[in-house]
Amino acid sequence: MSRYLTLSALAVLFLFPLVWSGYASLEEPSNYLEMARFGEGIDTYATNSVLVSAMTVGGTLVVSALGGYGFARFDFPGKNLLFLATLAILMVPYATILIPLYVLLGYIGLQNSLVGLSLVFVMFQLPFALFMMRNAFEAIPRELEEAALVDGCGTFRAFSRILLQAVRPALITVGLFAFLASWNDFFAPLILLNDGASFTLPVAVVSMTQHTFGAIDYGMLQAGVMVMAIPCLILFIVLQRHYVRGFMSGALRG
Amino acid sequence: MRRRLAGISLIGVLALTAAACGSGGGGGGTQPADGPVTITMWTRAATQTQSERLVAAYNKSHKNQVKLTVIPTDNYQPRIAAAAGAKQLPDVFAADVIFVPNYTSQGLFLDVTDRIAALPYKDKLAPSHMKLGTLENRQYTLPHTLDLSVWFWNKDLYEKAGLDPEKGPKTLKEFAEQATTVQEKLGKDGKVHGTFFGGNCGGCYVFTFWPSVWASGAQVMDPEGTSSLNDQQAMTDVFNIWRGLYEKKVTGPTAKEEQGPTWTGFFPKGEIGVMPMPSTTLGLMPADMKIGVTPIAGPDGGESTFVGGDSVGISSTTKNADAAWEFLSWTVSDEAQVEVMAKNKDVLARTDLASNKYSSEDPRVVLINSLVAKGQTPYALRFGQTYNDPQGPWLRLAREAVFGDAAKVTQLNADVTKSLQQQ
Amino acid sequence: MTLTATRSGRGRAARSAPSARWRSRKVQGWLYAAPTAVIVGVLFIAPLVLVGWMSLNRWPLLGRATFNAPANYVKIGENPLFVDAVFFTLKYTAITTVLLSGVALGLALLVQERRPGIAFFRTAFFLPGAVGFAAAGLLFYGMLNNDFGPIDPMLRTLGLIDEPIKWIGTPNMALFSTITLVLWRFAGFNMLILLTGLQAIPNEVYEAARSDGANRRQIFTKITLPLLRPTLALMLILSITGSLLAFDQFFVFTNGGPDNSTVSMVMVVYRDAFFRFDLGGAAALSVVLLVALVGLNSLMMRRLR
Repeated sequence: MSRYLTLSALAVLFLFPLVWSGYASLEEPSNYLEMARFGEGIDTYATNSVLVSAMTVGGTLVVSALGGYGFARFDFPGKNLLFLATLAILMVPYATILIPLYVLLGYIGLQNSLVGLSLVFVMFQLPFALFMMRNAFEAIPRELEEAALVDGCGTFRAFSRILLQAVRPALITVGLFAFLASWNDFFAPLILLNDGASFTLPVAVVSMTQHTFGAIDYGMLQAGVMVMAIPCLILFIVLQRHYVRGFMSGALRG
Repeated sequence: MRRRLAGISLIGVLALTAAACGSGGGGGGTQPADGPVTITMWTRAATQTQSERLVAAYNKSHKNQVKLTVIPTDNYQPRIAAAAGAKQLPDVFAADVIFVPNYTSQGLFLDVTDRIAALPYKDKLAPSHMKLGTLENRQYTLPHTLDLSVWFWNKDLYEKAGLDPEKGPKTLKEFAEQATTVQEKLGKDGKVHGTFFGGNCGGCYVFTFWPSVWASGAQVMDPEGTSSLNDQQAMTDVFNIWRGLYEKKVTGPTAKEEQGPTWTGFFPKGEIGVMPMPSTTLGLMPADMKIGVTPIAGPDGGESTFVGGDSVGISSTTKNADAAWEFLSWTVSDEAQVEVMAKNKDVLARTDLASNKYSSEDPRVVLINSLVAKGQTPYALRFGQTYNDPQGPWLRLAREAVFGDAAKVTQLNADVTKSLQQQ
Repeated sequence: MTLTATRSGRGRAARSAPSARWRSRKVQGWLYAAPTAVIVGVLFIAPLVLVGWMSLNRWPLLGRATFNAPANYVKIGENPLFVDAVFFTLKYTAITTVLLSGVALGLALLVQERRPGIAFFRTAFFLPGAVGFAAAGLLFYGMLNNDFGPIDPMLRTLGLIDEPIKWIGTPNMALFSTITLVLWRFAGFNMLILLTGLQAIPNEVYEAARSDGANRRQIFTKITLPLLRPTLALMLILSITGSLLAFDQFFVFTNGGPDNSTVSMVMVVYRDAFFRFDLGGAAALSVVLLVALVGLNSLMMRRLR
């Protein structure tokens, strides 16, 4: 019983900031109305955010599932180097690489585009995603794959038909984190997008809360935090069982 | 079933990627010069309302169109830096006027000296904005929006505290006395305070304290903006009065920690007797609140103001300079100034239009407009990193002077000068 | 711990002699890894090379860069703000890592067993991770505000305080409040990582220990902790790397204040790049940071494995 008391007290502490923010934002519902009308209209920004998140999740899943399988089951020259280079993404200060990235996206014609932004997000997600997926594939018994190969499947068919099913929880976990990162990120869309009509929600929310000389409109901020957080919270709760299993399935075990 | 789901999601992803590719690209700015041109403009969120009104009015009455993008205020500087670094500046962009000398020296703006010279009202443009947009006798910017620091006082609180609600302070000393009275009479519940200021916000200090120095006839820097005078008597006197207010707990208790996000938030709640405020917030005050407005004064009188706000210029990388200038010159025309700016009680970018058909509606607006010619905007190439940056030397100086060890000010003033002279 | 990819596939390679099949598997491996290689190469390595080149130049916003190596590196040592930031960031990293692992481990132990309602608590602890970090910083700034935040009035009603608490007003309180924010935001994520490690310990091991008469404390120190070591190591590496690169929490929440007491290393990089427009100097700082982090991480991986 005392365990439940401790847990409940802790849960109150963890949930309090969110509950307070939600409550405070409702004290003045006009904030939500004002927000809906801001700039190009909240629907524009929400659509951009959904597009960017969908492309990021999709891109991360495709790249990291293929890569994770390759790293788990094949040997090829440069494998270690590539893996370490991917992990090094975690070690570079985010803010500084954005200007060179911006210049570079210009060369490949993806400046000021949601596709370019999504690719950048995929890159930042890769260390976590590739690590997760590689470990998830490694945890699959080789017999499963070999059975498929014996059945006459090529490795790609074995991969796409059988193995992807087996790593589904890990895929969901990777997808969820890719979604959270791309949905919430503020700095990359701020720097990489030129055009107000292509801004994502976080940039719009921060814009609408800032006034002269650093003054912040807290009502708007709380409403903004809620609008941004609610889809994440819903996904979190809906996918709860899967991502816990994703972590559990050995995905993060060394 | 499961397998199909995975397949569908893969196809969906590919389709999304393909669909989204179409929405990319763009950027504009390469149309031939004869047809109607769409120019791009950036502004910071703080002065968004004014920019939006001007752009909307222009687009309605002109063939050329302006596409406005609003960027979060705190991140405007990084955004400009990144865009300039990648040579992707918009055709036109506004900037906080105090950053303009730095931008100009970095070559971000196009030289518009000759175009300005052709304007009939070239001598009537807000003088301090024009001064900051000038480098080596060449002019680069026009005034865009103006935000002045003035003292607001809450007439209801004054009445309750036994002060004359129609008489605001005429000197900084009176300001301190009246704030103290409000605090003593009404401050017992801990909600109402005599005054307030942003004590951990470099930009707030310069905006609200410096006008008192100017009002007493002194300066905070040399005209070149390379040597700090913030250790001189005039500044010390101002610091000391504020220090006294903080020590007597006449300011709200959070003044020392205030980084800026909430510094203008207390007055509209009716919790502050009298304090320096940005003039643009007058229109945002609760309609039923009785507010007096008076110029910022020195310790013994005089009046001045910090003329803040935005300037606007054409980027040096634009391909649409003529169309951009057509828009910019229109924003300071009689039509735009009176029918867009004055109509909405905004401060005018031209001194010759200070009294117009709308200004008579609110005498406070006339007062604020009249201050444009009297106020100052300090000039320094290294202004932002010296005064606004929370890691800059000025914030340390101001905080030692008001809360800490005032004896350190001399040394810190040397740091400010060093930062101003940095290459 | 297999943070490097040496283990896999080796068995297979030994089994089948260098044959056509093996070569084909090599090609296949490359094909699977190709998308990763393209993304990492184009969007990470290439910009990184550009950062390296920038660090050797005076790099104005517009206009031509001029080669000035090694001036940008030399001046790092002369930047007192950065030198202070190094010490502060190390201190912050040490405190955060210790507290974060402690809290995460405590939470993981509390929710490791499947019981009714446990799923709710797991979600509750993990939920703050759904809020963007910048938004979380602003949320805490508002929540801890003495005038309209809810915390001070609550503590006052409870009779715990008389004076308003200066949550970010003194260097120590600012650090404390920031770490609270970080714990709130990240404890759940780290809890999940540790949970995977806890679940991996077979029940039989516990049962055997219990039948040998071990008490709870002995079980924890003799069985749980040692078996959790690889997972803890992973958590530590993530936490240390993340803390050394700390930016948002200070940038949004404390703004480096009061009086420059909470300026992290990446904040200095950001300031040099975006406020002082010294792109070359900022690039040099980034290169130094990256090299230090890569070195530190390879050291940690070797030691902790």
